[in-house]
Amino acid sequence: MKILICIKQVPDMESKFKVDSEGIWYDRADLAWRMNEYDEYAVEQAIRLKEQVKEADLTVLCIGPGQVTETIKKALAMGCDRGVHIADADSYKKEPIEIAAMIAGFAQDKNFDIIFTGMQSQDRGSAQVGVMVAELLGIPAVTTIVDFLYENGTIQVKRELEGGSKAVVTTGTPVLLTCQLGLNTPRYPTLPNIMKAKKKELLTVEGSTGDISRMQATAACYFPEKKGGGLVLEGDVAELADKLIQILKEKTSILA
Amino acid sequence: MEFTREIYWNVGHGFTTLGPMYGLLLVALVFFTVGFLKRITVYRLGQPLNRTDQRGVRLKSLLETALLQTKVFRVPGAGTAHGVFFWSFFVLFIGTVLIVIQADFTDLFFGIRFLKGTFYKLFSLTLDLAGLVALFMLSGLLVRRYLVRPEGLTTKSDDALMHCLLFAILITGFALEGARMAVTELGTPLAGWSPVGFGVALLLSGIQEADLRTLHSTLWWIHLGLAMGFIAVIPYSKFRHIVTTSANAFLTDLGPTGKLTTINLEDEDIEKFGADTVTDLSWKDIFDADACTLCKRCQDRCPAYATDKPLSPMKLINQIGAVAFSDRTANLLDTITRDAIWSCTTCRACQDICPASVEHVNKIVEMRRNLVLMEGEFPGEEVMAAMEQTEVNGNPLGMGYASRGDWAEGLGVKPLAEDPEVDVLYFVGCYASFDKRNIAVARSFITLCQAAGVKVGILGKEEKCCGEPMRKMGNEYLYQTLAMEMVEAIKGYGVRTIVTTCPHCFNTLHKDYRDFELDVTVIPHVVFLQQLIASGALAVKPLEFTCTYHDSCYLGRHNDIYDAPRNVIRTAGGRITEMTRTRDQSFCCSAGGGRIMAEEKLGTRMNIRRVQMAVATGADRLLSNCPFCLTMFEDGIKGADVEEQLRPYDIAEVLAERIEPVGTEGY
Repeated sequence: MKILICIKQVPDMESKFKVDSEGIWYDRADLAWRMNEYDEYAVEQAIRLKEQVKEADLTVLCIGPGQVTETIKKALAMGCDRGVHIADADSYKKEPIEIAAMIAGFAQDKNFDIIFTGMQSQDRGSAQVGVMVAELLGIPAVTTIVDFLYENGTIQVKRELEGGSKAVVTTGTPVLLTCQLGLNTPRYPTLPNIMKAKKKELLTVEGSTGDISRMQATAACYFPEKKGGGLVLEGDVAELADKLIQILKEKTSILA
Repeated sequence: MEFTREIYWNVGHGFTTLGPMYGLLLVALVFFTVGFLKRITVYRLGQPLNRTDQRGVRLKSLLETALLQTKVFRVPGAGTAHGVFFWSFFVLFIGTVLIVIQADFTDLFFGIRFLKGTFYKLFSLTLDLAGLVALFMLSGLLVRRYLVRPEGLTTKSDDALMHCLLFAILITGFALEGARMAVTELGTPLAGWSPVGFGVALLLSGIQEADLRTLHSTLWWIHLGLAMGFIAVIPYSKFRHIVTTSANAFLTDLGPTGKLTTINLEDEDIEKFGADTVTDLSWKDIFDADACTLCKRCQDRCPAYATDKPLSPMKLINQIGAVAFSDRTANLLDTITRDAIWSCTTCRACQDICPASVEHVNKIVEMRRNLVLMEGEFPGEEVMAAMEQTEVNGNPLGMGYASRGDWAEGLGVKPLAEDPEVDVLYFVGCYASFDKRNIAVARSFITLCQAAGVKVGILGKEEKCCGEPMRKMGNEYLYQTLAMEMVEAIKGYGVRTIVTTCPHCFNTLHKDYRDFELDVTVIPHVVFLQQLIASGALAVKPLEFTCTYHDSCYLGRHNDIYDAPRNVIRTAGGRITEMTRTRDQSFCCSAGGGRIMAEEKLGTRMNIRRVQMAVATGADRLLSNCPFCLTMFEDGIKGADVEEQLRPYDIAEVLAERIEPVGTEGY
């Protein structure tokens, strides 16, 4: 079984973000980088599947500048077999369809049985790349999976729907699955696996978007405008109700 | 008349006595040797470890610990009884040896007798009194073990055997002495020099001489048999501690205190890290189980045990021994249980008090290393998250690394990258960098330094966690990654002196980083402040206050710093009311051993227990020297609902409130 896992390196969300000089994305200085949270679920699920079926080859793919190999190494230490780095220092400027085209360009002649991706990235959050890859490859996609079962070539997943309800979807291969929080708890790499990962294949290749061109562009990137702070009322209930009515009368037109 | 006695009186000094006697001794020695050789084969299952270097220091430790019983005497009561019993029994042993030397050697071959005259009188009196004291102490220990039954004391058949045998040896000794004296010494001036024997002789004085002689020879052979039996049974019973515990004083860890072994991560041949079987541990770790006497001092002081967690250091040591001597392939982690292994705060209370030089903490860390490095297991998801946060941002709190130096805003303290010309580097630590409560401590410390004219620099966003919590949790890989980075950063600026406000940072930089060739003076802030006050650089105006002081584990037991913080507090005008668990007996706040990253899910809350001890002193301030302790006390004071009675502070905070502006004298 051949499995592809697409991951992205994203800034740690606790970092101090600044808008970059072009005003279309965040500035990359002083950021700490890590694997996109949803991609960790994808990596973990692929490794669990390999542990189940034994015969499987896991390729982990990441697009970006040279520093993303650190994140690929983490996936290799978790248990992926080989890494592919599509070198692109400007990947952050690319729109979802361009990223999807680069992945599809790599995957189209490799006959992957299953492609795992994160449901979305923590930084851009478009949630489009996975489904677009499937579309470009002409294979089905199931998004936002929170449960995964594999038995005799049949895959049964649970999708998370609005309002907490779930849908059970059964599919065969090839298929692309995008992974959501709750699917699993990603493992902590063991030291022998960290050591082994240092010797695993990690290829850097040039990426190409083929004949796909961008369909949208980011116009501007900015922080939300500061709005007024909240107001906490204290006291007993009757008093609170009076105060609230008073405020609603004075500051809004709801009771007018 | 000549004051002496006939050795071998009544039993004779011919072959019929010496033959069986030395025959029995030989048999006893064979049992003794075979017994220990068998045990040595089990010790050898462990990994190699050099514990025979620095023999002079080791010999001193052996003499102090075994002969002087210094560690045993640290606990009054049972410890006193054991120590005094040991001394008296040792005197009896020396006495017996002297008799053997004279009767079967110097007298036999050279006709030299030294047991005579005044020396004999003193010899006789000393041995008699030693026997009496031994009986008295042994009775005390018997009452304690079988009638008082202190909580947690494990009593086995071995203990009964020991009591019976020792009582029998002492009683038959006095009885046969009495029988001999009833015939030979009653009515002579010599009798008074053996007061106990004299008493027994008086009791026996009505018996015919022939019967006394029969009684004497019977008792003599019984006494001899018991003594030989005692030697033979040593390796097969708890008596073995006479040998193993003494030996352990020689084989003891010579420090630095609490230093763990550093795994060579460059060695690609290592396939297994940490310990999940006894054979992964060192031979000393197996030997420790044999040296343990089940005195339960460790268990009595273990904060995890005291708060109902499934850890008893004593039990853990003996489980390792039980596995080593039964199924050596058994999984240690399953036997000891993960919950017990994770419960340790590495506070060292167990190891510090242990009279048998047992090393508990390193074993626990070895097992944690196996869980973390081989299995990727942690006590909880929160700990794994903290590890990952540390990998990404260099701190377990998950704060963005770039804002690490923000706490110092407005204080005029610059990162070394901007200004490397400083008197000291302040290694701030994660909590003082990011935790609001501890930022106040860092700022107080800077205020004090500036008042004393000390130019302080920080690493700012170049600083990362020292790696101590990760290391103690078993994550040696992450620790070493951080350590190497920090050493490189520190060395890059040519720093000569580092000051810390966190004892965990201090211990790590001061001891552990030496493995990575950091050779810089590292000083904990309380000591540094004491030096500034002593040199006159820092003028403090004492304003009276009452407080109690908590010795953090890593400044106290791990580094023996007890007086400097107290001196600083007194200089500030503090009147310290000590808690019952103070100095080397201090009770951990719960956050050591990497537990700062873990939720305390088992048993009761350790920090609340400590806060209650502080409340009991009646003082309204709880002073400490550690950001982990301070964090735990803030939380524990809320948990114990004593916010009105007690407030926690770092020593630097109370000192900073009392800075005397320089040059105001005379106003």
